[in-house]
Amino acid sequence: MTAVIQTEELTKSYGEHRGIIDVDLTVNEGEVFGFLGPNGAGKTTTIRTLLDLIRPTSGRALVFGIASNADPVAIHRRIGYIPGEFTLYDRLTGGQTIQYFANLRGGVDREYQASLIERFDIDPKRRYKELSKGNKQKIGLVIALQHQPELLILDEPTSGLDPLVQQSFFELVREARDGGRTVFLSSHILSEVERTCDRVAIIREGRLVKVASVEGLRDLAHHQVELRFSGEVSAAEFASLPGVSDVSAQDHILRMRVSGPITPVVRAAARYELLDFVSREPTLEETFLAQYGHGHAAAAADAGTTPAGSAS
Amino acid sequence: MSTATAPTRDSAGRLSALAGSSSIFSKSLRDSRRAIAIAIAFVAFVLLVGAAAVASAFGTVETRQQMVGLATTLPAIFQSMLGPPVALDRLGGLIEWRYQIVLGVLLPVWSILALSGTLAGEADRGSLELLATTAITRRRLALEKLAGHLVSVLIVLAAIALVTWLCGIAFGTLPGDAISPEAAFGYAALTGVLMLAPGGVAFAAAPFLGRGAAAGLAAFVMVASYLVNGFHDSIALFDTMRPLSWYQWTAQHIPLAGRFDWGSIATLATLGVVLLAVGVGAFERRDVGRTIRLPAPHLPGFLLGLREPLGRTLAERLRASTVWGVAIGLYVLVVASTASSLADVLHKVPTLEQMMRFLYPDIDYTSVGGVLQLVFLQFGLIVFGFTAATAVAGWASEESSGRLEVLLSAPMSRVAWFLRSGLGTFLAIAFSAGVVSLATAIGAAGQGSDAGQPARGAFVLALYGLAWAGVGLGVGGLVRSSLAAPTVIVLTVGSFLIELFATALKLPDWVAGLALASHYGRPLVGVWDPVGIVVSLVLAFGGLAVGAWGMTRRDVRG
Repeated sequence: MTAVIQTEELTKSYGEHRGIIDVDLTVNEGEVFGFLGPNGAGKTTTIRTLLDLIRPTSGRALVFGIASNADPVAIHRRIGYIPGEFTLYDRLTGGQTIQYFANLRGGVDREYQASLIERFDIDPKRRYKELSKGNKQKIGLVIALQHQPELLILDEPTSGLDPLVQQSFFELVREARDGGRTVFLSSHILSEVERTCDRVAIIREGRLVKVASVEGLRDLAHHQVELRFSGEVSAAEFASLPGVSDVSAQDHILRMRVSGPITPVVRAAARYELLDFVSREPTLEETFLAQYGHGHAAAAADAGTTPAGSAS
Repeated sequence: MSTATAPTRDSAGRLSALAGSSSIFSKSLRDSRRAIAIAIAFVAFVLLVGAAAVASAFGTVETRQQMVGLATTLPAIFQSMLGPPVALDRLGGLIEWRYQIVLGVLLPVWSILALSGTLAGEADRGSLELLATTAITRRRLALEKLAGHLVSVLIVLAAIALVTWLCGIAFGTLPGDAISPEAAFGYAALTGVLMLAPGGVAFAAAPFLGRGAAAGLAAFVMVASYLVNGFHDSIALFDTMRPLSWYQWTAQHIPLAGRFDWGSIATLATLGVVLLAVGVGAFERRDVGRTIRLPAPHLPGFLLGLREPLGRTLAERLRASTVWGVAIGLYVLVVASTASSLADVLHKVPTLEQMMRFLYPDIDYTSVGGVLQLVFLQFGLIVFGFTAATAVAGWASEESSGRLEVLLSAPMSRVAWFLRSGLGTFLAIAFSAGVVSLATAIGAAGQGSDAGQPARGAFVLALYGLAWAGVGLGVGGLVRSSLAAPTVIVLTVGSFLIELFATALKLPDWVAGLALASHYGRPLVGVWDPVGIVVSLVLAFGGLAVGAWGMTRRDVRG
């Protein structure tokens, strides 16, 4: 497979502030690659380095096999980009703004441009300044998509979009993939990332902590187990089992995360009168939260329970 | 049932609240720290160096008497512009007569910018909605914001009073040179009300018009008020309008010359307070962030510059360039219209005519070009420096707004973007000069004078603006685009101050030579100095080239 994006020990430091550290990443041609991480983790720094908007402190980034700081124009010719935050020209209409960027690129198919405007339900006659946040975001998306680039680099592309438009956008992403194009996107809509992306990378505090297929990422992670008993059981007994964490109790129900073999939990549960046993793979969201140590708190909040006590 | 206890704040807590960000007032004051420091430094520099210059140039009784003689024979137009020459045989009288225009016109600009933006600027950023939804009333929000600025101004006024009083001690050489605390206080009070009035206009208009339009309106009212008072002797319409000018109201309050008119200070202060109250009331009643959209002509499609960055940059700046050009052009028209009356005055006073011939042997000071050279150019250059700073600030917003990130994702190198947008900025500056040139031609033709020569001479403004804009772009490209406009402002003001003080302080020639404006010859009467032209072009295009090179070496800020 041809690597469209490749970074090698890519590092960017901002003096006292952390940027990214030794990021090694490969995005292959034709895949949709999700880039996840909490705010400030280094997603935007990585993306801006790929585009030569900022220069690496060490390491290197290759896009289409070209070093990002060697010939950025050659790279830009083949990409479409939307930043996480941007402002365009307040006094131009949306249509004029789109046209300006089409002129800068050249070779934009007017019919495709018009179809994008229609799909995103954009009023091209309204001034950019008068548009809502979501509508401004749509203008940015059309600018990124209108020249049908080989590689789409999208930083939080769905920010501010309503669910219907989000759906349209992810449809476009899937179409791009079906057309053999490559998409590199960061997003917080994890359910959509799960449905759309082939592979996902998670970045934390500037370091890449996980790169895997969406399925692989889930396989590597824990199972979410829920046990319902007829009477009281000791939550502490389960909490001490190997691979078990984040045990919470509510009435006669125990919830826990289990990494690795589930056998010890089954054996321990068999010592009580067990009414129900549910084990399911975590969603990408749960995996993501687990990577950041928020899983416990989130799960507890969802269930309305207190962490590890005894089921009474 | 428990009783909630209101949190108490000890004296140390109150002090830290005042210095910190625990209230809107303290946050406003804290945000003004840099502006206060700059204003105090500027005021101290102007007053101390001005007093030193006056003491050096007029250190004897004879020189003072010569000055008195000269000032009293000046045409009425000059006396109106500089204020009546009162007590010029005293240090205080000379300082106020010579330098009041600097503080009386430049310091109010701070109030205009601060009070037009204190609420409307927050509305533009979107932060006002967060503030307005906290548990405080809108009235209190506005009052605390206002109090933050007023306390900042009071700190600067205290510094003015102190420095003025010190000037009398440090530079007084003759009897009567001492400046009393009452005179120093009176001078600070005059400066304060001259700041309060236009600031009040800006604050009252901002809830209706938004930040930019309110600042523009306040600046227009202030400059109009100044011109109406300064040119009332030459223009009949201005004489009729003079009672509306607040510079006329306070014309008899010349505290450093020992003349006080506290009634006029109280009247102007009352106007300022009323305007501020209107602003608070309007903010309280109107929808947050909703402004009246002023009708503005839309540019035709072919002028929008949708093909590439040079045209786009020019189109983005065109509106501001037109406003600056028209404003300066109107001033040119006013000055030009005084040419014939000035000539009449000179013909009636032979000694004055002889003195002018001696001082300016190569200038026909009865022509429109000659009058503009004498009366307009120095002020015109400093104002045009601000025109250039506005254009450069617009250029810098490409990067600070995040727009550049999207632009550079197109197949266009940083150098190409920099050169094209820089040239677009240059064209916008040249366009403003073109408007001024047109006004100059109209003014000259209206007076039956040669229009071509002063119209061509007016392009000296473009050279001056391009030179500092080039340096600003160079700094913006090399270091950070947000530094570009402040660089232009520092160079403009610095160059003006060097020109203002170098001769009086008898500074070495090379220091005086640092003032770019001193190298253009007398362009409005057709006498050009090639040195100024060459230096300006080198600074403009050299700065552009350096900036483009620097841009390739640094990170783009997102």
